Amino acid sequence: MRSRVVTLSLLVLGVLSLVALAPAVRAVRMPGNHQGYEPVQPIAYSHRLHAGELAIPCQYCHYAADRSRHAGIPSAGKCMNCHRFVTAARSKVRAEEELAEREGRKPNRIVDPELEKLYEALALGSDLQPDPRKVQRPIAWARVHKVPDFVYFDHRAHTVRGIPCQKCHGPVETMEKMRQEETLLMGWCVECHRGVNGAVVAGQVATASTDCSVCHY
Amino acid sequence: MTEKSYWKSLAERDDRGELEASEFAEPLEPAGAGTDRRTFLRAAGFTIGAAALAGCRQSSVEKAIPYLLTPEGIVPGRAYWMASTCAGCEAACGVLVKCRDGRPIKLEGNPGHPVSRGGLCAVGQASVLEPYDSMRLKAPRGGGRESTWEKVDREIGMKLNEIRDGKGRVRILTTTRSGRATRGVIERFLAGFANGELVVYDPVSCSAILAAHEITHGRRLLPRYRFDRADTVVGLDADFLGTWISPVEYTNAYTSRRRLAGTDGTMSWHAQFEARMTITGGKADNRFVTHPDDVPLVLEGIAERLGLREPSRRRPPVRIRQADIDLVASKLDSARGRALLVCGTNDLTAQLLANEINHHLGSYGATIDISRPSRQKEGSEEGLERLVGEIREGSVDALFVAGCNPAYDLPGSARLSADLRTIPLLVSLSSHIDETAGLAQYVCPEPHFLETWSDHEPVSGVLAVGQPAISPLGSTRSAIESFAVWSGDPRNGLEIIRDELAVAMGTDPAGAWHETLAAGYREADPAETATTWRGAGSLARRPDDPAETSLSLVVYPSVGMLDGRHAHNPWLHELPDPVTKVTWGNCASFSPATAARLGIEEGRVVTISAGEAAAELPAHIQPGQHDGVVAVAAGYGRLGTERFALTGPEWLFRRRLQPDGSPVGVRMGEFQVSNAGSANWVAGGIRVSKTGRMEPIAMTQSHHSLSVPAHLDTTGGRRRPIIQETSFAAWKENPGAGEPESHHIDADLWAPHPYEGHRWGMAIDLSACTGCSGCVIACQAENNVPVVGKDEVLRQREMHWLRIDRYYAEGEDGGVDMVHQPMLCAHCENAPCESVCPVVATVHSEEGLNQQVYNRCVGTRYCANNCPYKTRRFNWFDYPREDRLQNLVLNPDVAVRSRGVMEKCSMCVQRIELGKMEAKRIGANVADGEIATACEQSCPARAIVFGDLNDPGSRVAKAAADPRYYVVLGELNVRPAVGYLRVVRNRKEDEHQEETHV
Repeated sequence: MRSRVVTLSLLVLGVLSLVALAPAVRAVRMPGNHQGYEPVQPIAYSHRLHAGELAIPCQYCHYAADRSRHAGIPSAGKCMNCHRFVTAARSKVRAEEELAEREGRKPNRIVDPELEKLYEALALGSDLQPDPRKVQRPIAWARVHKVPDFVYFDHRAHTVRGIPCQKCHGPVETMEKMRQEETLLMGWCVECHRGVNGAVVAGQVATASTDCSVCHY
Repeated sequence: MTEKSYWKSLAERDDRGELEASEFAEPLEPAGAGTDRRTFLRAAGFTIGAAALAGCRQSSVEKAIPYLLTPEGIVPGRAYWMASTCAGCEAACGVLVKCRDGRPIKLEGNPGHPVSRGGLCAVGQASVLEPYDSMRLKAPRGGGRESTWEKVDREIGMKLNEIRDGKGRVRILTTTRSGRATRGVIERFLAGFANGELVVYDPVSCSAILAAHEITHGRRLLPRYRFDRADTVVGLDADFLGTWISPVEYTNAYTSRRRLAGTDGTMSWHAQFEARMTITGGKADNRFVTHPDDVPLVLEGIAERLGLREPSRRRPPVRIRQADIDLVASKLDSARGRALLVCGTNDLTAQLLANEINHHLGSYGATIDISRPSRQKEGSEEGLERLVGEIREGSVDALFVAGCNPAYDLPGSARLSADLRTIPLLVSLSSHIDETAGLAQYVCPEPHFLETWSDHEPVSGVLAVGQPAISPLGSTRSAIESFAVWSGDPRNGLEIIRDELAVAMGTDPAGAWHETLAAGYREADPAETATTWRGAGSLARRPDDPAETSLSLVVYPSVGMLDGRHAHNPWLHELPDPVTKVTWGNCASFSPATAARLGIEEGRVVTISAGEAAAELPAHIQPGQHDGVVAVAAGYGRLGTERFALTGPEWLFRRRLQPDGSPVGVRMGEFQVSNAGSANWVAGGIRVSKTGRMEPIAMTQSHHSLSVPAHLDTTGGRRRPIIQETSFAAWKENPGAGEPESHHIDADLWAPHPYEGHRWGMAIDLSACTGCSGCVIACQAENNVPVVGKDEVLRQREMHWLRIDRYYAEGEDGGVDMVHQPMLCAHCENAPCESVCPVVATVHSEEGLNQQVYNRCVGTRYCANNCPYKTRRFNWFDYPREDRLQNLVLNPDVAVRSRGVMEKCSMCVQRIELGKMEAKRIGANVADGEIATACEQSCPARAIVFGDLNDPGSRVAKAAADPRYYVVLGELNVRPAVGYLRVVRNRKEDEHQEETHV
């Protein structure tokens, strides 16, 4: 009788602790799985604004995605194609223009503090011209999507065959801060490769091999 | 001749059992032997501690740093290529430099180059490592201390002004620098002095050829030998496929006349007279072992037979067989206008005879081009001797030494060094503190050729430009820039070369310049005017009778080290010599008979002495060598190579094989003799004495040997041949001649592979392969193959994915035939390695590749033991790279393997994948030839063909259908994807022995 009580209470305790630990157990991951990784970037660049609201095509900035292994992180020079002219949010510029008109003066240039960092990196003065007293310093972005060194993923094979970027990178156009959406583990890669090999993807017959040496060499 | 069998070493020839004993590629270390309790605990403690620490590592935030402003044409992850010119030796082959992220990572031959035609030798391939040498000087030095260019230039300028005012003697000493712009700058600098002179010498000299043509053709020139036009080639002591003048060019040209395709092939006939075994002799159809002193007599004999000379009464010389000379002379005579005789002996009498014979045969204008001569060797020992005399008497006021190292190269270096110190202004332009730079007041280091602008003219009228692929890693300045500064006309290298070559650029100089940079060269008018035959006249004389000497010493440039200029390159130190298979040092080679006579065994340290010169070297027994000759490789014993004493992994049982502070190998410069104004590397009358010491030679000849199981023997009880061979005559009758009786295969255990897409394969033409080893280093550079050091090589742990097996066989008349067989993973269909791996780390791909998955491998080494071709390599260690800077040469597209995993040839799968990706990108199929493995690309002989066996139009599919195609040990039914094309020799005597020989 007593032993049954002990057994029963132990069982209940066990079940309770399992329930209590369940979220933690679910959060345990394989080493190398960085799903959900969302590091702080040196400049608070918003994919939601650029890719979502402004609908700039991904490959305008990630220009190498269709011709190289790497998609390519844009150079600061690329940012300057627009940000030579756009120095702050339009609402802020408009507000300053209205204020200046009311005060009867020329509007001041409004520079967003985040864009200030870009101009700093390029050693530009307040007139956005090169300032010889400053030193150019490249921007060290925190890398979000990374496969291990022994994996040779190739962007071009996927991009030219019409695989949307979001397939692997998630809904980037909604992300204020870049986040790793998928696990990027091998099982995740192979699942897709197995499924589409020989199938028609984006109007073409896909040749997605599952040979080891497609990615590992 | 009845049965021919190939063997790798004398031990194997004499005792078949030795091979079976060494079947397992990497013998186990005797575990426990010599390990005491303390050592064990130390090792155990370290291992546990290291493992625990390694497990605690947290993954760090990785940065991605893009350009601020992207340079034009650079795409991250894509290699870009620049045409340039190799300066690894004076041959100046055209190269394409593969760069990633602003740094060169691989050199490849430039297929469009009119001289080298797309191949590249081992030295050229290894040159890419040299910019990343942390021992290179990073700044100029003055007075034994690091200095600045301003200070050094000011001081040198002041001294030069004094010399100019005092009408002093200014001398520049260089090896051949053929570039017109380079010449122009140097001449302009010297013109500023009343007594300025340029002295050119080559450590491996061809001065007698130049001098002979001055007599016979009225101009000092080195002809361009056109092996591609020769049906009969006779070589005398000229290793023209290995190291002589322009081996890449010659290999390409020579094999172009020996290419057997279909059944309508023609094949040149090649006879070689030589004292030591060379790769050129190995390719010869008839090889005559000849003492170097007898070469002039052989030439005289040929001249007599051709009717050029009255027969002399002193014939026949004892050591030469008249029949050989008759054969060669009649072959030459019957190929008039298509014959070529080349002689490497640096002796005027011999060269005059060679010129007469070539003139008589109508070779000039046909197989020898003197209207566009070669400019690859221009050195003169006369000028050098005059300079040494001037230095001795103290009359040289300033000496600039560029690109050469006289204190190492020349004999009497102790005295010469002392004399060099007395020169008021001695400036060395060396990139390292070498023997000469150590004596100089100023060292003004030159950058590596991949860091700077240079120009060359390998063949008159071919203006080759070298352009930088990386900014100089130190504060260095090229010779032309330095001389321009010291002439008071400072310009940068680009300006100098563009301005100096402007004359050759025609009406649109800017456009022409861009074309030149894109192509790597520009064809221009030769600087020379035509010359005609003038005859040898009174200078044509009979060669002297050779002195009767017991033993002669032959010092030869080795394929890797040449004259020692690449002594700082660990890849070349670890490259097995194509013939001796020796790595990390030189040794004294004796013929088996001489070794037996002197009682010398392999590895016995012997003292070689001649006059005051003496050297202690381990002995090596070399088949195919003349009994009267001891052969030693030059280029070793260089100052600075002490750095390699402990190259290799650090571990408990590491042996220290070199005393601290001693260089790799032994310097042989003291043995050079001057013979009538020509530097000669053959010294007669040497003494050899044994010492009581033995020294291990890191020789790879018996490593990774294939074992042929007895149950595969043919019905006659013959061993299965690894090398198959036939004669040209037999091949013409039956292209499948030489095929041994085939083995019956009943059934397959495995289901066949479907191979629906590509099926990669390779065919290697053993008839074309010379064994030059360019592919070995190309593979090393492409696939991040580590250097393991001498101690590990001695333990059979060298890591080369592609090795070249060298086999000997008894030829006719007791001669020795040699065949080279590049051996790499055969990517077997029924791979024995795959079936024994317990963790499926090696698997077959859909495209026929045998894949090695490093991350799955747990290092059981079962696969290596089960590999019939012994091509798998195990990472016993995380091999430390010699210095951190050298990691910049790593190919980012290939994983660096870590300790405990197996690796092997991947058939350059990174290149295959890239080729497929690019084809996918442009929506095309992969065209044949678009994907080239590193070894195939580098091969000067075009012996290697890679491609898709499923594409019937591909070159490899055609090769695989060739009746000459065979696979090694096909009887094992492993079905390798790498096959070989049978060796064919154009040998008259072979007509009746086209039978299977083993």
